[in-house]
Amino acid sequence: MLEKDATSDLQIRIAELEAKIIAAHSREHALKSRIDELESQIAPHQPPSPASADARLNALLSICAASLLTHEVEAIVSLVVHESRDLFACSSGILLFLAESDPQRLILRASSNALVPELIIDPGQGIVGRAFLAPRAMLMIGPTLEAAIKELQPAQIQTLQDVLDAWPPSSAIVAPLRVNTQRLGALALYSGNSPQRYHPRDLPFIQALADLTAIAIDEVRQRERAAALQHALAQTRSLHAEAQARLNAAQAQLLQSAKLAAVGELAASVAHEINNPLYAARNSLYLVEQELPPEAPQRTFLSIAQNELGRIARIITRMHDFYRPTRAELEPINMNDLLDETVELVQTHMRHSHVVVDTELTPDLPLLIAHADQLRQVFLNLMLNACDAMPSGGTLYINTTYIPGKNDHPPSIAIRVSDTGVGIADEHQAHLFEPFYTTKPQGTGLGLAISAHIVTQHAGHISVESAVGEGTTFTVTLPVNSDG
Amino acid sequence: MPLRCIQVVDSDPTVALVTQRGLQMLLNGAVEVAVSASPEDAWLRCAQGSVDLLIIDPNPHNGAAKTLLTLLQSYRPSIPVIALTAYDSPRLQTQMRTLGVQYYLAKPVELQELERIVRAALGLEPLRDGESGFRPDHDRMALIGLKTATNS
Repeated sequence: MLEKDATSDLQIRIAELEAKIIAAHSREHALKSRIDELESQIAPHQPPSPASADARLNALLSICAASLLTHEVEAIVSLVVHESRDLFACSSGILLFLAESDPQRLILRASSNALVPELIIDPGQGIVGRAFLAPRAMLMIGPTLEAAIKELQPAQIQTLQDVLDAWPPSSAIVAPLRVNTQRLGALALYSGNSPQRYHPRDLPFIQALADLTAIAIDEVRQRERAAALQHALAQTRSLHAEAQARLNAAQAQLLQSAKLAAVGELAASVAHEINNPLYAARNSLYLVEQELPPEAPQRTFLSIAQNELGRIARIITRMHDFYRPTRAELEPINMNDLLDETVELVQTHMRHSHVVVDTELTPDLPLLIAHADQLRQVFLNLMLNACDAMPSGGTLYINTTYIPGKNDHPPSIAIRVSDTGVGIADEHQAHLFEPFYTTKPQGTGLGLAISAHIVTQHAGHISVESAVGEGTTFTVTLPVNSDG
Repeated sequence: MPLRCIQVVDSDPTVALVTQRGLQMLLNGAVEVAVSASPEDAWLRCAQGSVDLLIIDPNPHNGAAKTLLTLLQSYRPSIPVIALTAYDSPRLQTQMRTLGVQYYLAKPVELQELERIVRAALGLEPLRDGESGFRPDHDRMALIGLKTATNS
């Protein structure tokens, strides 16, 4: 009996304990649920866990490393969206847009699902457009997000639906890609339909990510620009060297021509002065010969004298010709083309001397029959002189004018070469065209003398007007019907 | 045939004398050749109507010759003119053409050549077909074979 009672008590006791255990399990479950609920409530207010902070740091470091290694913008933007996707698993998609100028617009360049359809957003339009113009990263939720979405066109929304896992987003966190004041694009992270949203504490990281991305992209672009500039510089140097070589050759030719011309000038001058006595002597002998009887012994030496005078005449003619173009060298030339070619020859030299060339060439000028090389030499000389007269830079004006014939004067073309240089003092102007007269320490004094002679040989005229401190104008007038 | 009057204007008296005597001899007394040292004297004779041909050395450094030629062109255009110059240049040739000069010779031309041109100018003997009254220095050299035709 006693044993039965004891057993019954134990069974009751066991049942009570079992009930208590069940109740305890139930409370434990309820407490766990409450703990989960409380944890989920406080989670947004907690700093990122050490693991999350490490992941974010790793993302930034990998982008840093990539920016050092890669030379392609596409690789950088792909890496950024990929890392963002890993860090924000709640995202329905991450998009990166880069700006294009003229017209300024944003173009989708990378998305977290690897699809990059054509999507163009205007600055200020929608989530991305607003992010582009924003000074810093921002979180978009509620009415602001809805208003931004309403700014999008149906086609744009359709494309966004194609590249995002869910639409519309419950929140978005966006950041402009900027370097100093330069806006490069925008980064946008879209959350899905779930209640889990981005939080303001994500903003500094997103901004850091955007800044780093912007710097990396800018670095690549700077490198591309530097390479392009390097290439352009190499080309410019090559062109400059070529132009300088041509100019040096032209100047050497000019100097050589000037030396030859100086000799020729002297020869021509002597030839002219000799022509009169030669005419008188030669023809006097002829008259004497006419008076002599056919058998006169003086005829032998008279004939020798006549022949020798004839030889002198031929020598004189050759001396004269030395300084004069033959007819075979004359050709129809377009004065405007000749001036353009000459300007091209000195263009680099002018640019280096900070001289701007301003041409005003009258179109449809008649052709001149002239010696092109000699006239080119004249204008090259005038242009280089003008450049020398502007040691601090200035403007070289070149213009052509057609002058119709009038009274004794045939139609002609006037070419003016003006500078804004130091000018020429009155006392020098009268001697400018004399051989060996120069005001330059290194000048030969032959350039203008030979230029004047060439112009004269073309039946033309050269004149100068100058004011000290204001500039100088040389005017070359060449008759159109000149046959040289 | 009446005696034809030729007026020679040359500032070099020796040259003027040779031209005068040479033409008188070569034209065998058919002409009377007068000499003036200055264009002003020559203009007086031309204005009086006693000149059939003017031979002038148009010194490019002296404007008097140009003035005389301008006056002739205006008031005595019927008087033919031969420019006989020691200062041959394309510019002078153009200037002479502009001033109505029909014949142009460069010194030291031979008297026989001058005679042919004088005869042509006086209408005594025409020039050969295609022959020009303008004989600058290089044309003359072509005539005596020192230059090729294309080079002249």
